[in-house]
Amino acid sequence: MERFGIGFLEERKLVKRWSGPVPALVSLALLLAVFYATWWIFQDPRGLLRMYTPYVGYMYCRWWLIMMIWMVYIFDFWPFKRQWLETAHPLVKGVVLTAVSVLILMVLIKGFFEGLLGNFGLAYFNPSQLEKLPGVTSFFAVEYASLAILMFAAIASWLSPAWVVAVENSPWEKLAQPVRGLTILLVTFFLSTLVYFLTMHSHMGILYYPWQYFTSIAPPYWESFADTVSGNFHISWIMCCTVVVWLVETIWQRYPFVLIRNDWARRAATFFGIIAIAVAVHFFLYFAQELAWGEAIRGTRRDFAPDWRWLHVGEMAIFFLVPALFLNFYCGNWPRKYSMPVNAAVRTLISLAAAVALYIVYYKTSHLFLGTQKGLSHPQQFPMIPTIWLVNLMLVHHWFMDNWPAWKLQTRTAAEISEEHAAKVARLEWERPSGKYGLGLGVGAAIGVALYFVVVQILPSAANAVAIQ
Amino acid sequence: MTNTTNRRSFLKGATTGVGVGLVGAMGLYSYSSARKSHFPNVERKMADIGVCKSVKVVNVSETSWFENATLMGDIKGAGGLLVNQYDYNWPPFGNGKGLGKGSYKDGIAQIKHLLPNRLEEAWEIITKNSVHPENAGGFAAVIEVEEMDGRKRKFLLDSGWSYKWMDECFKREGIDKMLQNKEIEALLISHEHFDHYWGIPVTFKYNPEITVYIPEGFYPEGLQYIKDAGHKGKVITVKNGLHKYIPGMASYVFPIPIICRVYGEQSLYFNVAGKGLVSVTGCCHQGIIQFAETAIREIKYEKDKFHGIYGGLHISPFDDWDPKYDDLVFSLRDYGFEKIGCNHCTGVICAKKFIAAGYPVIQGTARHRSKDVAYLGNGDTIAFA
Repeated sequence: MERFGIGFLEERKLVKRWSGPVPALVSLALLLAVFYATWWIFQDPRGLLRMYTPYVGYMYCRWWLIMMIWMVYIFDFWPFKRQWLETAHPLVKGVVLTAVSVLILMVLIKGFFEGLLGNFGLAYFNPSQLEKLPGVTSFFAVEYASLAILMFAAIASWLSPAWVVAVENSPWEKLAQPVRGLTILLVTFFLSTLVYFLTMHSHMGILYYPWQYFTSIAPPYWESFADTVSGNFHISWIMCCTVVVWLVETIWQRYPFVLIRNDWARRAATFFGIIAIAVAVHFFLYFAQELAWGEAIRGTRRDFAPDWRWLHVGEMAIFFLVPALFLNFYCGNWPRKYSMPVNAAVRTLISLAAAVALYIVYYKTSHLFLGTQKGLSHPQQFPMIPTIWLVNLMLVHHWFMDNWPAWKLQTRTAAEISEEHAAKVARLEWERPSGKYGLGLGVGAAIGVALYFVVVQILPSAANAVAIQ
Repeated sequence: MTNTTNRRSFLKGATTGVGVGLVGAMGLYSYSSARKSHFPNVERKMADIGVCKSVKVVNVSETSWFENATLMGDIKGAGGLLVNQYDYNWPPFGNGKGLGKGSYKDGIAQIKHLLPNRLEEAWEIITKNSVHPENAGGFAAVIEVEEMDGRKRKFLLDSGWSYKWMDECFKREGIDKMLQNKEIEALLISHEHFDHYWGIPVTFKYNPEITVYIPEGFYPEGLQYIKDAGHKGKVITVKNGLHKYIPGMASYVFPIPIICRVYGEQSLYFNVAGKGLVSVTGCCHQGIIQFAETAIREIKYEKDKFHGIYGGLHISPFDDWDPKYDDLVFSLRDYGFEKIGCNHCTGVICAKKFIAAGYPVIQGTARHRSKDVAYLGNGDTIAFA
């Protein structure tokens, strides 16, 4: 029976063409070159298509990411056959699979959101419908519709991979493709729609004058808790969920949830654990901004406004995702020689340090080459656009092109796959808590809390030393 | 179980525990009210900017453009809000190559020899080469400050955009004569945006020696334009932060990035005797509440009270809206302004929301192409005394 790409990413063997860090460095150079060329063509305000309007480019960028997740994680590359995935030249695969992802993207945006939903359901998904309304200019019709579709994307970018990573495709994991993919797509899309109405629709309802009281809850229920009526409050924790899903999947190797033996307990713990960690990050990154720049003031603009700060939480989280994925895709998820928690902790520290460095470098230099403006607080500039654009290219390179040219794909034999599976099971057994694990957990938790307060103490002076304007 | 195994288990548990402790503390403490104990008490600097008797503002023009749909169509066609303003091919820097393909260098080369005195000829060339020259208006206001001894001093805040429109407005309000007579002692530029700055040759036509104050952060094109526009006086770059002009009048420069590739904005504070603080702004891209909070933090003012506002508040300049603007509408009440003379980039929607919220908005007369009485229009005045 045709397997398409089921298990393809786990089973493929990527072999370095050169030793040491050269393949990673070559890939980095290649990625940055392609990033800059495509940025100029598609996004740059000085470039060819100038999609960074900002919301048009932002929306396409986000949905493209999800298209690739759908193709690879949900549909396992269906309808592409396994043999083609294993034998076609990476460049051919890259071009074909990217073209398909863009085609689906266009069908989704133009056909589903703008065409179907926008014409027959909710006017705010369709620029032409919005333009018919008094006072809405063509530019803002496009921007508002893009914003609505973008907000939907934020949710889908969390739930689509979460069903695969956390829920392990259950209860449909035994179905063949494309039935499995279609089922999970429909379920995650339904959940995304539900979350959209609960978290974003009220934002869209008060985006227009007068407030759309008859179709949305206005002011929204989160107003007093979040100190803003803006839906950015939800964007914040949802973006953190997106990032945490990928941290769990890559540099944490699903630890500690993977240790739970009971299938449904493990799945539930992973799904809700991701949300819990994301919410913790969401609150902490907001607090970190308060420590760095002072308390937010409701009603003000830019970096002092609660809505800006909530959005910036999501932006900071994405800065964390970039090095984590790089470590996983190009550095063999280094280190691998310690226990799972130690490996995960070291990778997390490396990613965190790299994220901070990337954040500083971005804000200090990006205006010199991205066609953007210097400064932190521009209300129309979103660092999530270039960072997600880079992530998208990494996904194309890693998922579609097998890290070509610095790596080459080799197919594992059935014996090798089975051997690796057995080793993985044995490793999991070895990782399970035993002996003084519980004592260590307690001591570690106390250290973790202490560490948190140390960070809280040093953050204001650290932020002051960096002084990003 | 051996010691090594126990040690390893302990280490695995401890490493996991650190993560659990960190995440737990992050989740439970970071947004709790207890976190506020970490915020430092910000001491008010209470800088003395002096005091004045009264301030009067004449709205020379608040209509920066006449058709919002036309302007937004241009912005959409050129690639959005982040495109460099000199690239749109708007007047006066049109080069005939079409929307989004302009440049300062090409544009100024066609009119430089006519600036600042032969503006009608220049405008004819501009009309042929630029995108939607008929849509250009501009923002400018004359501020009359009465000092405590009764002496009145005048300043021009911004010089608009269209040479043709601004010249008409200057003549309508007698600004041409005030400039010629040197009654207006300085031109204060709030920021480099086209609708506030590109009309400087109209000011220089009547007084090329006038001292010009610009905020820190101008791009090279903007700096060159002062020279190319025929200015012969002093240009003073006001550094970020507080700058005192005359007793009772100061500005604050905010180092902020702004749409259409502009950086930095200067806004004005007036300390009016017996009344309180008055803010006069061009666009207030930093946000009116940020401006008020900066005053609280930085300066001393009468009765420790906010009295009035004049100018653009950059809330819905394009008749757009966003829920975060509602945050502003809700929160402005906390600052207790007694007289709100808003217009321009505040947006009509916002002015109406202010009125609906019961704020003391001074309504206008909607003359000279201003569109709505909801705010102060062209030719209207407001006094803070």
